[in-house]
Amino acid sequence: MQIKKHPILGEKFTEEITFYFNEKPLKAMKGQTVAAALMRNGIRKFGVSRKLFKARGLYCANGRCTSCYVTINGLDHVLSCSTLVEDGMNVHSNESDPDVGGIYN
Amino acid sequence: MKTDLLIIGAGPAGINAALTADAAGAEVILVDESLQPGGQLRQQTQLFSNLPKNKKKTRGTSLNNHLVESLNASNVKVLSNHAMVGSYLNGNIGVTDGFKTFEIHAKKYILATGAQEEGKIFPGWTLPGVMTAGAAQILINRELVLPGKNAVIVGSNDFAFEVIKQLRICGVSIKAVVEDKDQLQSEKQDLLSDLGNITFLTNSTIELASGSGEVEHVSIRTPSGIKELEADFICISNGFTPILEPFEVMNCKFTYKEILGGWLPAYNMNFQTTNSNCYLAGSAAGITTLGPILLTGEIAAWSVLEELEFISPREAHNQKKECWEELMTLENNNVFQKRTEIIADSLLQDNWNPKSYFTELQGGQIHG
Ligand SMILES: Cc1cc2nc3c(=O)[nH]c(=O)nc-3n(C[C@H](O)[C@H](O)[C@H](O)COP(=O)(O)OP(=O)(O)OC[C@H]3O[C@@H](n4cnc5c(N)ncnc54)[C@H](O)[C@@H]3O)c2cc1C
Ligand code: FES
Repeated sequence: MQIKKHPILGEKFTEEITFYFNEKPLKAMKGQTVAAALMRNGIRKFGVSRKLFKARGLYCANGRCTSCYVTINGLDHVLSCSTLVEDGMNVHSNESDPDVGGIYN
Repeated sequence: MKTDLLIIGAGPAGINAALTADAAGAEVILVDESLQPGGQLRQQTQLFSNLPKNKKKTRGTSLNNHLVESLNASNVKVLSNHAMVGSYLNGNIGVTDGFKTFEIHAKKYILATGAQEEGKIFPGWTLPGVMTAGAAQILINRELVLPGKNAVIVGSNDFAFEVIKQLRICGVSIKAVVEDKDQLQSEKQDLLSDLGNITFLTNSTIELASGSGEVEHVSIRTPSGIKELEADFICISNGFTPILEPFEVMNCKFTYKEILGGWLPAYNMNFQTTNSNCYLAGSAAGITTLGPILLTGEIAAWSVLEELEFISPREAHNQKKECWEELMTLENNNVFQKRTEIIADSLLQDNWNPKSYFTELQGGQIHG
């Protein structure tokens, strides 16, 4: 849920952009983080834990807890709370540990 | 890269230290891992009084804008989106932008890396929708996004109450404040009276946060039985603790003071750690309020400027004396008391009083 006009800060963002979460197009404001862009669209589950596959989402919003991992443009385990959303960005939920070595294997 | 002074952390403490050193002619690099400078002040919309130099009451966000504008107008070289990740054997600090890592050689370092929030664990605490109070504050005030509609707050300290006020004016309904102790922790009556009608559950804990893939329901164990609430998010406000890793990297010694946030680096009256090239400022030097945070940045900067001979010992003495005297009046008494215990330890003394220390020093030892 986006706060249209903040009671103290007023309007902060002006430019609307489109990004993709699990292939679905969503709107966000330029200047927001990926985590905020997802939560603005009512998405709070960003992925699952590595062992028991329990739901995970934003916890500290500060890049310290690593609970908010997503895959961005093919790069696994990116902190969604510390990365700005971009027009056309492809975001996927974090469903497991990355394939270590990935494309370089 | 080479510089006189490298500061890690561009929160209010790091910025104030950078501005002080820059104004005296030192070459300063200021590194911060965030996308923008300002640290945790960026989302603090509440009003602050008790600021140094008779600054008038101001919102955290306005003061932040002012600090960042001054920074942009200064000669300080700001490296945002750069993190300190280690140190080299030669003592240089290693910094990365996520792609390349390089070393910065500085004559002196100030670590102003701030504090982190303490968690609180209960069944269901990892479910999306459970977050720190600071995370909720960041969402509404930096991102302009609501974390949910109906909140349960865990903890009843000053910060919990500030965040409740900020959530409410954005339209969030507060279902309950859950405190495991037998009374509310904030001692600020004005904050409490601002809150008006609200359900406080003392001697209570969260029994379970549940829902399908996110928080939908909260069960609370109270002295009168289990209370069930429909709530879609939970904010944990369990205090702050200094971030220690950068100080471990720099081989600094630590001390423990519960009131100051638990473990923190040991330091002397110059805000110099046990690594003589490494100073500290802000919440890293103990959890306190904004006025003192700004002052500690200044004291660290004056000490570095003296060490590097940008100012005379006499000027350094006068500046530090003024800052310490202001710190003594602005800071909560218990917090200040614990701070002076750390200084006393550094001098192997039983106690330390800035007033008598600086007055005695003026009696003859100061030249320049
Ligand atoms: C989420 C949160 C919310 C808070 N809200 C309030 C509040 O409402 N009211 C209040 O009184 N206090 C609050 N605090 C306490 C806070 O510590 C102080 O208000 C104040 O911001 C401290 O200033 P500082 O300059 O010491 O540190 P900070 O403002 O925390 O700044 C430290 C900076 O260091 C950077 N940093 C840390 N490690 C590294 C590294 N390795 N490399 C590069 N950069 C690094 C960080 O990105 C950050 O920008 C909050 C703290 C947190 C964590
Ligand atoms: S939410 Fe904690 S690292 Fe992103």
